Amino acid sequence: MKRPLLVLGALMALSVPARAAFTVGGKAYTKRLSTDLLSDPKALAPAAFHLGYGRKLKVDEVRGVWVRVEDGPSMGWVFGGNLAEDKPADTKGMDGTPLAASQTSATAAARPLAPAAEQYGDRKGLAEAKADVLWMEAEDDAITAGQVDAFLQANHKGEFQ
Amino acid sequence: MRRLLALALLLLAAVPAQAQFNLDFNGIVSKAKDVGKMTKGVAGIGPEEELSIGGSVAIEIAGHYGGVVRDEAITRRVNLVGKALARYSSRPQLPWRFAVLGSSTVNAFSAPGGYVFITRGLYDTLQSDDALAAVLAHEISHITLRHALKIIARNDFFSGAMDLAAQSNANFAKFDAGIDQITTTLFEKGFDPQTEFEADQQGRLLAITTGYAPGGLRSVLVELQARGGDPKTVFSTHPPLKERISRLPAEPPPPAAVPPAQG
Repeated sequence: MKRPLLVLGALMALSVPARAAFTVGGKAYTKRLSTDLLSDPKALAPAAFHLGYGRKLKVDEVRGVWVRVEDGPSMGWVFGGNLAEDKPADTKGMDGTPLAASQTSATAAARPLAPAAEQYGDRKGLAEAKADVLWMEAEDDAITAGQVDAFLQANHKGEFQ
Repeated sequence: MRRLLALALLLLAAVPAQAQFNLDFNGIVSKAKDVGKMTKGVAGIGPEEELSIGGSVAIEIAGHYGGVVRDEAITRRVNLVGKALARYSSRPQLPWRFAVLGSSTVNAFSAPGGYVFITRGLYDTLQSDDALAAVLAHEISHITLRHALKIIARNDFFSGAMDLAAQSNANFAKFDAGIDQITTTLFEKGFDPQTEFEADQQGRLLAITTGYAPGGLRSVLVELQARGGDPKTVFSTHPPLKERISRLPAEPPPPAAVPPAQG
């Protein structure tokens, strides 16, 4: 009887650490400009705290795709996809301001084709291709973060799994 | 004994695909750490420079592969799936943009700063959002891992070329030479195989994290392999399909295409 139980135990043990790259007692980092710490492991749970970019967190619990973390007195649940195991490499946003200090989504907002890229297209005689990229940017930037949220929710992706 | 073993197997099978996948996640994390060390080599290229390089490469990609397909519905679809993936990438703050190219070849490209393209030839073979997500996640990973930037960062002569404010011909020449190096790699040589395998692994992880089927990329590659076709027009700048397939876990293909909810 002992052997089959051992086999079962070993197989179950294999399946447990499979759950997450984040381990209890380990660390995690925020990688978004603003990360909500939720009161429950549910996408629509109220936010108990808000954290900025690149914060080092302690992992308290892992439950499926959800991770309970703490940062001093702030603690709550975060979808694992919103956390990084390693400190994010980017230090500055697209507008050149330090990401850690940014409290807005300005750095993630639409950015037009860089002047140097526009000049490159002109120098190389790629007017049509440049117009295509400008069209692409206009179309893509018209899709709001709220529309992506709605898409995730409707299709049960991300924190809505 | 047999019952217990059956129970154990059932328990394993009941573990979500995402959880099972994470069995090899530590290996991927370890590789990602190595990549993180390498990333320091491109630290000299800041966000503004990355956008300048990326925008220029994006123009070259559009020029080489039939231009951007100006279909609003298709563009919206690739952007919703792409932006969903990018949100959980390691660089969610980039201004991510996705488009389909009017080329009948089967390929996908990315440019620094968040530009992702797939050709019409590839787009038309993708039968579900899981398959589309797998391809986009691979390209997103090239950007988050800064693969293209490493091409120019390795070259000393490009250093200093980013000071375009000087507006001198010499600086333009250096800048253009750097763009040429990237496009030569993207259009002709391709990244080295290890770089592509890394993007396959990282992209698969990103797709799974977002909630797409683990076997998405493998199913796309298997489908393309089964169709045969001229290697010059099917992922010509990537390692052979057989090699890429062999390095991915033998996971089942995603369910048949289901029209996505638009939210």
